[in-house]
Amino acid sequence: MEERLYDLIFICRPDTPEAEVDKLVATLEHTVADKSAKIEKIEKWGRKRMAYRVRKLREGFYVYMSIRSNHGELIKELERRLKVADPVIKYLTIRIDEEMKRQQKLAKHRERRAARRPRKPAPTSAPPAGEQTASAAG
Amino acid sequence: MADPNVPQQPPAAAPPAESSAPAEKTQAASAPAATPSSAQSGAPSGAPSSAPSGPSRGPSSGGYQGNRGPSRGPGGPGGGPGGRPGPGGPHKRGKRNYVRKKKVCRFCVDRVDYIDYKKADILAPFIQERGKILPRRMTGTCARHQRWLTVAIKRAQNIALLPFAAEF
Repeated sequence: MEERLYDLIFICRPDTPEAEVDKLVATLEHTVADKSAKIEKIEKWGRKRMAYRVRKLREGFYVYMSIRSNHGELIKELERRLKVADPVIKYLTIRIDEEMKRQQKLAKHRERRAARRPRKPAPTSAPPAGEQTASAAG
Repeated sequence: MADPNVPQQPPAAAPPAESSAPAEKTQAASAPAATPSSAQSGAPSGAPSSAPSGPSRGPSSGGYQGNRGPSRGPGGPGGGPGGRPGPGGPHKRGKRNYVRKKKVCRFCVDRVDYIDYKKADILAPFIQERGKILPRRMTGTCARHQRWLTVAIKRAQNIALLPFAAEF
């Protein structure tokens, strides 16, 4: 199975002490390491106002992780852990590697076009030379 | 140039021509008493679409068609960032008096390749106060970016970054 990139966001109760959040993150990290996956990024967004009430709470402590894995089981395990963890009130896992791939493709495409474009209008006297260099580069 | 004898000849000669010459002729034919300045102000947008409808109708009805044409023209391919001048002169008919402002996809302007669901402040202008996703015709977003935007908004809603419905 090829490598996949996931976004994992979970929201803790706003009154959870930060140490507990750190502990939770550490256990998740441990789980990820067990399955030989990688954590690309961990961001603690902190207390934020939620757009709607969740479990009668208006605020939540957001934590964001980006995980690179080639093991679908890992996500199952992580979600199970989040489900049983007391301070977590909401979580979301999204697979985003396909969109990232698309983004990279588009960016590459645009770059190539941008590299080609300035040559065309500027030297009106010698357009074949510019085209040749562009094709050689691409 | 100022007083053409046969008004039906130039449109038949060049249907989708972008040259301003035939347009000036048709405009002048439909309104002979019009001043040259007004005819020229109507010319740039009325030019392309008034030409094809010209040959079948008389010069006066050609003027009507020419008015309706340009307002519909930019609406069709509106998604693309075309360099069209926009509907400049729909000022003959009573009903369609307003000039529609051309909306451009904000994501195309910024060259966005991926709409991040985590950035709620970017997505917020594209939902109503009650939480509905705004349609493309309101925001001017292109089809491709609207597709991505919809997905991003729905994700953001799921993690409580954006509301599903307004709270009372």
